[in-house]
Amino acid sequence: MDTQFAQRRRRDLIMAACLAVVAALVPLFVKDVYVQNIMVLTLMYAALSQSWNILSGYCGQISLGHALYFGLGAYTTALLFTKFGVLPWFGMVAGGAISAVIAMALGYPCFRLRGHYFVIATIVIAEIALLLIQNWDWAGAALGIDIPVRGDSWLKFQFTRSKLPYFYFALALACIAWLVTWWLEDSKWGYWWRAVKDNPDAAESLGVVVFNSKMGAAAVSAFLVAVGGSFYAQFVSYIDPESVMGFQFSLLMALPAVLGGIGTLWGPVLGAVILIPLTELTRSFVGGSGRGVDLIVYGALIVAISLALPKGLVSVFSMLTGCKEAAR
Amino acid sequence: MTALLETRGVWQRFGGLVANSDVSISVGRGEIVGLIGPNGAGKSTLFNLIAGVLPPTQGSIIFDGEDVTRLPAAERCQRGVGRTFQVVKSFETMTVIDNVIVGALIRNTKMRIARQKAYEVLEFCGLAARADKLAADLVPSEKRRLEVARALATEPKLLLLDEVLTGLMPVEAQTGVELVRKVRATGVTVLMVEHVMEIVMPLVDRAIVLNLGKVLVEGKPAEVVRNPEVISAYLGDRHAVGA
Repeated sequence: MDTQFAQRRRRDLIMAACLAVVAALVPLFVKDVYVQNIMVLTLMYAALSQSWNILSGYCGQISLGHALYFGLGAYTTALLFTKFGVLPWFGMVAGGAISAVIAMALGYPCFRLRGHYFVIATIVIAEIALLLIQNWDWAGAALGIDIPVRGDSWLKFQFTRSKLPYFYFALALACIAWLVTWWLEDSKWGYWWRAVKDNPDAAESLGVVVFNSKMGAAAVSAFLVAVGGSFYAQFVSYIDPESVMGFQFSLLMALPAVLGGIGTLWGPVLGAVILIPLTELTRSFVGGSGRGVDLIVYGALIVAISLALPKGLVSVFSMLTGCKEAAR
Repeated sequence: MTALLETRGVWQRFGGLVANSDVSISVGRGEIVGLIGPNGAGKSTLFNLIAGVLPPTQGSIIFDGEDVTRLPAAERCQRGVGRTFQVVKSFETMTVIDNVIVGALIRNTKMRIARQKAYEVLEFCGLAARADKLAADLVPSEKRRLEVARALATEPKLLLLDEVLTGLMPVEAQTGVELVRKVRATGVTVLMVEHVMEIVMPLVDRAIVLNLGKVLVEGKPAEVVRNPEVISAYLGDRHAVGA
């Protein structure tokens, strides 16, 4: 049975490598900028959702305030670049570190809350942060920050002529988030997190320090989401509070994981690949003047999947292989 | 030799309710001690105090020569207190082996070794065949054994068993009794709360009877069951007269 477990881990890794290679080849055939744009967003949300899944899926602490960390990453990078000329690469790491620290500082009081109370706290805190940024003149207040374009370069991580560099960075980000999850899944932390999610009292009796486990998950999760936010700031080159810290980001990070399979390795990827193109396509085809038809389609899909497959889409695969293990 | 566990004048009040009053017990190394008493006697409270779920209102708890009164549950587990829960608390979305790995990780940092250790414990508890099943799919008696396996994986010096034999069919209960004996044979001290007298009495070396939050009697099982005070606590005064 030991080898069976090792085999499954290896199979996951090989499958991920194959998918990454295939994804990397897609832009060779797809030249349409609009489609490329959707692919970038899909990969970004796969990465974000995977990161969200660490705290909310594995550790079971449902956060609907992760837009806060996304915004922090975006703002840290943009501010460091425009005010101090710090390269976005450093901004990315700085944004991640700041987010991780803030996640722990917020976790200190919030992790004493359980269930719905915790969820509400995360929403409220993200909204407060949004209001603060909207009224912070130095950071551009409600007008936001225009990131000056200084020509294509990897150093400044700016590309005006082609979306491809963004695509490959987003792919790398998705791979990193996946790999981190894969690695953590079979580590002490991974086991502790799942134990904390299932039954904190029993976990505590087995020597798991529940509070510290939650803090660890929050830090890793916030760090990765902030890196995604940094990337997004560079990608759109203009940020304002609502466009990087709005509540919709918190939802868009959670939904792929929820639909794909919360607390699973493949759920966020699968969810993002289905949801994000669908969102973008419905928006461009039936959205626009229709105002909200795209959201109706979106909502209907979510209701349908959660009713038919409460454990997420990955459970279909485990049903097919008849193996419950894969659904984890 | 000093006792492995000692409670000294432990009180626990919940508002106006006194769940434990001045409870002083001791458990020697290698013993199997039964903690019995009618419903509401304060057994579970005392258990939770020993496991570190909450600190006592008053008094102290000494484990392995150290005062652990203020230590949280996780810290006590680290020092060698393992426990099961009366209402089973399996990690339902995890497999049986993964449940046990959580316990094994406290003594083993390497995943591969923790997994191996967990598997050995499952074999010891007769659950190896169910290793890859989800904990949620186990039948109640197996879930009870999983509780024991998980606690054993933390390599405890003292194992606290909270009604692991209650509500089982006679054959299952007998398997449970064998398991407890096997556990003791590996050098683990056992303190068990139990309801079913006829199962627990032949098993334990010593019984402590709690009633109304106080220690009523303690001694050899055979003496305890004949004690008039115990009989009246369980059955009412009328029955004690004949004893």
